[in-house]
Amino acid sequence: MKDDSDPTKSPVTRRQFLRDGTRVAALTGLGGLIGLVAGRSSAQGTVWQIDPQKCVRCGNCATHCVLEQSAVKCVHGYAICGYCQLCTGYFEPEPNDLNTGAENCLCPTAAIKRTYVEDPYYEYTIDEQLCIGCAKCVEGCNRFGNGSLFLQVRHDRCVNCNECAISKVCAGDAFLRVPASRPYLLKTISH
Amino acid sequence: MNDENLSRRQFINQSFRSAGLCVLSGAAAAAPGVALHAAATSATSPFAYDVDRLSRIDPKLLVYEQIRKISGLGAEPRRIAIAPQNRLYVATGAGVDILDGEAGKVAEIPLSAPAQCVAVADDGTIYVGLRTHVEVFDAKGKSIAVWEAPTEKAWLTGLAVGANDLFAADSAGRVIYRYDRSGKMVGRIGEKNPDRNVPGLIVPSPYLDVKLGPDGLLRVNNTGRHCVEVFTANGDLELSWGKPGLAIESFCGCCNPVGLALLGDGRCITCEKGLPRVKVYSADHTLEAVVAGPEQFPDNGRPGQNSNRRDGTLGGLDAAVDSSGRIYILDLVAGDVRVMKRKS
Amino acid sequence: MTHLRFTIYDLRAVPSTVRPSSIVHRQCAGWLLVLMLALFSAGAQQRFPPPEFESGHKLPTATEPAARGFLRQYVDVAVLAGSLGLATWLAYRKRSRKAMIALSLFSVVYFGFWRKGCICAIGSLQNVALALGDPNYALPASVLGFFVLPLAVALFAGRSFCAAVCPHGALQDLVLLKPIKVPDWLEQGLSVLPFIYLGAGVLFAATGSAFIICQYDPFVPVFRMSGRALMVLSGVALLLLGVFVGRPYCRFLCPYGALLKLAATFSRWRVRVTPTHCTQCRLCESSCPFGALYQPQAVETEPRILRTDRRRLGLLLLLLPFLVTAGVFSAPVVSSAMARVHPTVALAERYLQEKDSPAKIGVLSPDDLALERARQHPDELLNQARVIQRKFKVGSWIFGGWIGLVIGLKLIALSLHRQRTDFEPASGACFACARCFAFCPNELMRRGVTISAIAATQAQGTKEVLAQLEVAK
Repeated sequence: MKDDSDPTKSPVTRRQFLRDGTRVAALTGLGGLIGLVAGRSSAQGTVWQIDPQKCVRCGNCATHCVLEQSAVKCVHGYAICGYCQLCTGYFEPEPNDLNTGAENCLCPTAAIKRTYVEDPYYEYTIDEQLCIGCAKCVEGCNRFGNGSLFLQVRHDRCVNCNECAISKVCAGDAFLRVPASRPYLLKTISH
Repeated sequence: MNDENLSRRQFINQSFRSAGLCVLSGAAAAAPGVALHAAATSATSPFAYDVDRLSRIDPKLLVYEQIRKISGLGAEPRRIAIAPQNRLYVATGAGVDILDGEAGKVAEIPLSAPAQCVAVADDGTIYVGLRTHVEVFDAKGKSIAVWEAPTEKAWLTGLAVGANDLFAADSAGRVIYRYDRSGKMVGRIGEKNPDRNVPGLIVPSPYLDVKLGPDGLLRVNNTGRHCVEVFTANGDLELSWGKPGLAIESFCGCCNPVGLALLGDGRCITCEKGLPRVKVYSADHTLEAVVAGPEQFPDNGRPGQNSNRRDGTLGGLDAAVDSSGRIYILDLVAGDVRVMKRKS
Repeated sequence: MTHLRFTIYDLRAVPSTVRPSSIVHRQCAGWLLVLMLALFSAGAQQRFPPPEFESGHKLPTATEPAARGFLRQYVDVAVLAGSLGLATWLAYRKRSRKAMIALSLFSVVYFGFWRKGCICAIGSLQNVALALGDPNYALPASVLGFFVLPLAVALFAGRSFCAAVCPHGALQDLVLLKPIKVPDWLEQGLSVLPFIYLGAGVLFAATGSAFIICQYDPFVPVFRMSGRALMVLSGVALLLLGVFVGRPYCRFLCPYGALLKLAATFSRWRVRVTPTHCTQCRLCESSCPFGALYQPQAVETEPRILRTDRRRLGLLLLLLPFLVTAGVFSAPVVSSAMARVHPTVALAERYLQEKDSPAKIGVLSPDDLALERARQHPDELLNQARVIQRKFKVGSWIFGGWIGLVIGLKLIALSLHRQRTDFEPASGACFACARCFAFCPNELMRRGVTISAIAATQAQGTKEVLAQLEVAK
């Protein structure tokens, strides 16, 4: 019958005992799980990043990020660049002329800016607001040039998904987790 | 209660039915997702960089055929040179490999640092250019001397040896050093000098090469300006020829040609990277023939992938010519030498 | 699937799980590593210098925007713990539906739209599975907290997490406007799905292939307001369905809900419809939109039916081991197909298929590029694929056995009779949403609501009853 003094207690005692027993076993199991998993290895908080040596410029970074504008952007290694007048990461393979006209530019969103330094050197910078991370310029730069343009996950945009959607389709298997305190794998030499 | 509840058997039957229904509907829902995913990665990316149409060469220009391929070179080969008796010397990451045109690798000179370039004089003296100095070996491979470059920041990538001079191309310094045979530096060629009308060498990547022709003139590839410049040994610019562009008669990409070789009569052979091709130019600097086109070097067109090179080079080719006019093409990415002979 | 395969030690910040004595050794290792790198780089890692500009132009440097701080994860765990406590208190002591709605709104806003639904407790079970399956994977403490806290609370007080803390559940709860009853047979049949999904999620996570629960989560794209078209549409579709069918994801899909159901079955305290005792007045009979209310049930007394029932139960008990074995033995059939979910295995199979075809030239699709990469180091790839396929073989036995076990136990549970005298929430299925309280007259008395108002709320149309009351006045 019902126990009026404490309405939350179940009336059947044998069942109660079994329940209590299973609960204790479950709690022990949880505790064991915590111990097993926590004691194994420890690491700092990690974030996603692309290894530029392994990137094959497949173009999936632009289309597979869960965010509308991909968190992957092109980054320029200025110390590696040759500052060429005819930059193959900037210009279409056969440009009409070597100027900033849209029909000559490789970038589909005109995210690369070309500025004159001195004859015949030009500096190329990426406007991250416009870059979509499609790796077209990276391919042009790596194929003909020094490979100073490369893709990186930008951490002011990346939401650090449990499983990066791009990492699953990365053709070069270039995605890895890096410590949050050193979240970039910048190219320092052309490789 | 029985008329409200189903009998147990009916209950179980219906449960299985519903479970089956769910599995089917789940599969039906998942199928388009899977198909979409498969399509997303098997279709060509809309952002693909396409120079494919330039890989095909007009067959009328392809007048050379490959008669042999020599493999088994040391890691990271960079330059190839011809020696007396048509021996080949290849500068690799471990030293210099000595090859025979028929038998393959016959010997090697191990070095402590990677060899960037090599040249062999008529008397058999071997000059090996490492990054900041030149090591001189006699014909047997014994070390004779070490000549330092004038600066620690030098990056020697090309050597040419004449009767009395050794010319060393420094990519980092954007200059050609002229040494006499005793190791004393006697001149600098190619530096920007408006008074002498020398525009200066633009070298974005370490591929500067220098070759000495039978007419005593130097051919230097001014990669940044997409031309071959002809200098006298004193540094006067005689002429420059070549134009940028992806067409077969031009030099593709941002810095080409990356390697030079000279035929017996002084005609120039150029090697390019990006669209890897080796071309022969006639005496009046028009395209005469294509020795090998991009389709013969599929890996070379996609460098920088899992590349372990540490020398700033991303792909490329180099060439050397022997006395019978055979052309030896060194593939920096595949690490082999192809022997090309003119078709009859 | 790539996860960090080595541990990195930051010399400044000490990870929370490190014991003090090991700090010194790690610092030494750190400096040694730096020294070695310096020596190594001096010799080999030379960069070809950029041109020297006559104008003295200085080279710019690439910006490095910092990653988001990790303190917020611990704040999330604290908020989770607080919300769980609050939800439990609301279900047991305060017993207020309005307050539960308010907490649901807070959870949808905080855990849902602000934190974008990630890291969540549902997904955390995959991280735990991966941690168990891969000794190199370090499970973050906050993720473990997200996994353990709701389960621990469920063991004591029931599914308070589902009530108003889980953003997915809270979102579905808030859109439920016109509940319709799901027929019993459909509900029982579909209730097996969460357990199967749980098994699949654990299998794919433990082998490091995919986090399918994250991949096929319908509501996170809604919270994030961006995602794959298919997932956003499925989220919207489920929400539309949720207007009529109460909590469709929670009841029929949520894998963590399967765990919570198991835990809540053994909970210390149970939510009760009545604050005092049940009078079997049947007013709460159709109060639960989720079908989680037990009706009073008499024990079968007729001997003929009793015998049939007992025979059936006995048969099902005997059938159970056969079902499990059947599951185990039928698993290898699908094990290779399942292994293909792992990108390495899929690539290895494609490589073997196209081993003899010539290398493609020209413009390459991402698949072609991956194949090229495979051709460079085929042995390494094939070895990795073999290891994963072996893991899947073992895993699929367990998964097959698990499905057999789940179906068998479900059938047994359906055949079990239990005498019940009261209307009470189902132990495992009740979400503690506090909807049913307002139907119970004892509860209304506790709240101090008058008899006539009780009658008014229990009537079919509130307006016409109020009108009647007007007339009666």
